[in-house]
Amino acid sequence: MADINCKDFPDYLEPWMEGDRHPDALAHVRDCPRCRSLAEDWKIIQDSAREWGRVESEPPAHLWNSLRVQLLQEGLIRQQTAQRGWLPTWFPAVPRPVLAGAYLAGVIAVAFGLSGPVNQHINRARWLEGTQNSATPIRAQFASAETHATLPSVPDSNPTVTASLHKNMAIVDNYIALCEKSVNEEPENELARDYLFDAYHQKAELLAQLSERGGYGR
Amino acid sequence: MSTTRFVSGNLNGKAFGLITTGLLLCGAAASAHTLEKHFKVEPRAVITIHNPNGNVTVKAWTKHEVMVVANHVSDKVEVDAEQTGNRVDLRTQQLSDSVAPDDLRADYEVSVPEDAELQIHDDSGAVSVANVLGDMNVETVAAGVALEDAAGYLTVKTVGGAFQCTRCAGRLEVSSISGSFRLLEVRSYHVRAQTSTGNILFDGEFLPNGIYQLKNYSGVIEVRFSPGDSFDLNAKSLKGTVNNEAKLTPPAHPQHLPSKFGYALGTFNAGRAKVELTSFDGTINVRKRN
Repeated sequence: MADINCKDFPDYLEPWMEGDRHPDALAHVRDCPRCRSLAEDWKIIQDSAREWGRVESEPPAHLWNSLRVQLLQEGLIRQQTAQRGWLPTWFPAVPRPVLAGAYLAGVIAVAFGLSGPVNQHINRARWLEGTQNSATPIRAQFASAETHATLPSVPDSNPTVTASLHKNMAIVDNYIALCEKSVNEEPENELARDYLFDAYHQKAELLAQLSERGGYGR
Repeated sequence: MSTTRFVSGNLNGKAFGLITTGLLLCGAAASAHTLEKHFKVEPRAVITIHNPNGNVTVKAWTKHEVMVVANHVSDKVEVDAEQTGNRVDLRTQQLSDSVAPDDLRADYEVSVPEDAELQIHDDSGAVSVANVLGDMNVETVAAGVALEDAAGYLTVKTVGGAFQCTRCAGRLEVSSISGSFRLLEVRSYHVRAQTSTGNILFDGEFLPNGIYQLKNYSGVIEVRFSPGDSFDLNAKSLKGTVNNEAKLTPPAHPQHLPSKFGYALGTFNAGRAKVELTSFDGTINVRKRN
């Protein structure tokens, strides 16, 4: 019979994740499917986090899209006139450091979303610092992309749609501000962080839609 | 294999006056261009519709054929309807760079076999689908979406458009930013609905082993249950309230939620379905069905 219960088990997790498994924790995990599942989940997340440094993955399309708008504004690439997909044509023109930066931002975004529960218990201070820092480049990128996504080069062929996109952008901005406030007030609140990332995701999609307006239907 | 009837022309003089008067009296839609096409298809045909503005109405029928009737007024757009293998593509094409918003409008009425798969993109207007049992994907910006007696894997995404699903089955995933959802008489084993500021109403069955995840930021989530239903409930609102009428058995391993959370956790009857309701600062109502 284990001498610890579910409430105590998180206190044993830091050494557990480093391979130092206290006999009481081992006994409890044997008896408790919930804590066993928790330990297994953390192991998976820990393994995944290690993989991030090794595996190259393609960042989401909306991230590239936001980046494209920024690059257009900075004159690093030129607007394509043809109505085919932009990715194959402008991708070779993008300087490597910019791509790396975008990739890094994407990875950080994913890391921010996933790393909380592990680090929260393992190293709270490091987690808080990482959480706050990792959100910054995404926020900055969104701010810049939003500025440029509404460039007047896009013809306003359907004001109903454009108005809807802008109205919903305002909703999402408000939603982000409130979620950020909640996360700042309670950095360990996972639900608030989930909502914040939902909001970032929605904003990225809206920015992508705004920047793609004008090519539709032709 | 397709057959086409195409009517196009400029209306003028006396004929215009008579027709206009007639249409006004009848309340019917006036269109300078009507395209009607028929396509023979095999089972599980795929139909794609891309329309920037207008109504898209799709209904199932018993024929192995797709019938398209498209109406548009402007000469600055045209409707393309083409078949490639077992896929039929319908698209409103913009023919000029300078197009007024009303010029973009085209309305589609499409009849499809009931096992057809649909991919619909309609920015503004309305989308309505009835009795189609194949998978479908609907994306809109401002257009509302109404599905009736649909099945299969249903994915719906709007920015601001509302969504209503009546007697839907299969798997349903719907997301929006400000659209509200009404899921009525639903018999789906998997429902995932997420909106930011819209309301969500679920008035359907909780099937054994089904998963029902409803999430919003603000607004009201309302779920209705019957005394014979069986589900595990996890309802929480970070800054709002949870009003629960279900008598729940508390979970064996209680979650440690901050006291300011509004929440209701536990099992109703045998807990066969899983119901997760989450809001940031909205209200969650779990109501007994009348």
